[in-house]
Amino acid sequence: MPPLELLLQQALNGVMLGVMYALIAVGFTLFFGVLDVIHFSHGDIFMLGAFAGLSTLLGLAAVGLRAPVAALPLAFVAAILVTGLVGVLAERVCVKPLARSSPLMTLLATLSLGLVIRESVLIFYPRGADPKPFPQLLPQGGFEVGGVAIRYENLAILGIGLAAMVTVDLIIRRTRMGAAIRAVAQDPEAAQMMGVNLDRTVDATFFLGSGLAAVAGILSGLYYSEIHFIMGITGGVIGFSAAAIGGLGNVYGAIVGGLLFGVLQTTSAALIPRGSEFRDVVAFAVVMLFLIVRPRGILGEQSVERV
Amino acid sequence: MIAVWLSELVVFALVVAGILAERPAALAATGGALVAAAALLRFAPPLRTALAAGFARHRAAALAGGAVLALALPLALRASPYWTFVATLALLYVTIGQGLNLQIGTAGVINLAGAAFAGLGGYSVGLLTLSAGWPAWLALLMAPWIAVTVGAVLFVPILKTRGHYLALVTIAFGFIFNILMNNLEFTGGPQGLKNIPTLRLFGWAFTSKPALAGVELPAHANFYYAALLVAGLTTWALRRLHDSWLGLALNTLRDDEIAARCCGVSLTRGKLLAFSIGNLCIGLGGALYAVMVGFVSPPDFDFGYSLVMLSVVIIGGVDSIPGVVLGACLLLPLPERFRFLHEYRLLLYGAVIVVMLLYRPRGLWPAAVRRYR
Repeated sequence: MPPLELLLQQALNGVMLGVMYALIAVGFTLFFGVLDVIHFSHGDIFMLGAFAGLSTLLGLAAVGLRAPVAALPLAFVAAILVTGLVGVLAERVCVKPLARSSPLMTLLATLSLGLVIRESVLIFYPRGADPKPFPQLLPQGGFEVGGVAIRYENLAILGIGLAAMVTVDLIIRRTRMGAAIRAVAQDPEAAQMMGVNLDRTVDATFFLGSGLAAVAGILSGLYYSEIHFIMGITGGVIGFSAAAIGGLGNVYGAIVGGLLFGVLQTTSAALIPRGSEFRDVVAFAVVMLFLIVRPRGILGEQSVERV
Repeated sequence: MIAVWLSELVVFALVVAGILAERPAALAATGGALVAAAALLRFAPPLRTALAAGFARHRAAALAGGAVLALALPLALRASPYWTFVATLALLYVTIGQGLNLQIGTAGVINLAGAAFAGLGGYSVGLLTLSAGWPAWLALLMAPWIAVTVGAVLFVPILKTRGHYLALVTIAFGFIFNILMNNLEFTGGPQGLKNIPTLRLFGWAFTSKPALAGVELPAHANFYYAALLVAGLTTWALRRLHDSWLGLALNTLRDDEIAARCCGVSLTRGKLLAFSIGNLCIGLGGALYAVMVGFVSPPDFDFGYSLVMLSVVIIGGVDSIPGVVLGACLLLPLPERFRFLHEYRLLLYGAVIVVMLLYRPRGLWPAAVRRYR
């Protein structure tokens, strides 16, 4: 049994990872809410967000703007805009036209679209096949509490992630567009009869969800100080797992699911021998067991089976 | 009957010419001829109906003609061992696709871990021959059953979850398989298993060059004929299964579980049977692949290949037995033919699939409505 400090340390790292996973998962769950589809290219949009952020940072550095306080917010804004637009485009081109056909069609279509996005980055980004170093812009150093090392960098990532989640929560609960998103998720036809513009609401949802993925992408670049064009595959599968654990369509469930997946990964890495190699095996196995026991997630998908 | 054979021969000649054409001019000419033939059928309904009626009337003759041409393909491709290999690969994907189509198309059990089950077949052959010292033919017979047995891990999730959740469970299974193969010692880790002994039947080694009608063929032709036999048998067996009462019961389960159960169809038995028979075919395809290339490694069975298998079924036509054959014979060789596009190949592959789904959502050869006489 590893010492308690190590477990606490790993749990803390897990929360860090979990915040990123939660940001991806919220996108999956929002899209499922409004259109009842799983948008599988979301993982690759997360990857695209990281690359858009990196390009912005490199561009700003080239014109002499290197101060993190100024460069980082600009990178976030640019990446959110890029992924938001690509997300809306993806929805217009291949999610919404297929939303009424069988889930299998959207599955294959969005998986293939993800392939297109991935290959585009590989081909059109300069030397896209190599992992790209991500600049370390967050304050280094840290302090120690009871044997658990806390780094300023990690606190900053946690803070940005939490701020993004609170913003989304406010948008969904307090704005007109948020009310429209919730209404469409409940009942698209009734929402339309109440004067909700369905197309615009769906577009807004995809912009919002894809923008969150960009935040997750940049955070992941800052955390690992490296990004790679294939990071979207695992990122997408983990985000989808987190959304499913929490119950598809449930935003808070997605956040809980993301945190759970992160903590599961890091603690199993600490608890089992050769854990760092087998941590994903444990995490995915738990996801499978979880779905057997609670087929509709922790907080539950809001739907009833109609006969 | 003559017209049926003649049209089959024309398609065969065009395909072979399209495969072997080297110079851009020749390639453009054959490509143009294929497009022209397709356009002729598309925009000349009388011709289309006449041909369809001919094929329907002389079904046995059409099948026999197709079989003869399939047997003759290695002769036409004898100059290029590489294309014999690609044709064999397409036939293996016919076997795999039929298994996956039974699961996804007929029974509605979504399986996004096709590559993992093929990998189970392939790795089983490798381990049985290399570690246990079995002869290749025995390992080849045993390996699919190992894929079925390991697939039993998913029995409970299949019954408990459905739709997107089942899709996730199978994706997770595929990832777990890949991580384990990458990190376990006895599977060779990232290097995989090398030097899997080749097949040897009645003293005939599959690495020696066969001769057909006095013409020497590349060694891959051995596996081409083996794969043709396996693909033919699988397609025939699954066609029979699809047309039987069991296929009908699986269709009702797919379309409406509650209504099917009200009519006395057992959900447990139907889904698990379809899943297991499907895995048997997928595992067989993977096992044959391992014997053919003599080498298995984790990247050969990653998520991308599950995607290719899924696209074979969906682009061919969900629940359509001939559609799967067409899908495999188009989707496997086409990217190879367009190898000159280098890195743009996969990008275009993804784009083509999206466009196909938008404009031909029911597949190239949609499933026919069941008819009983």
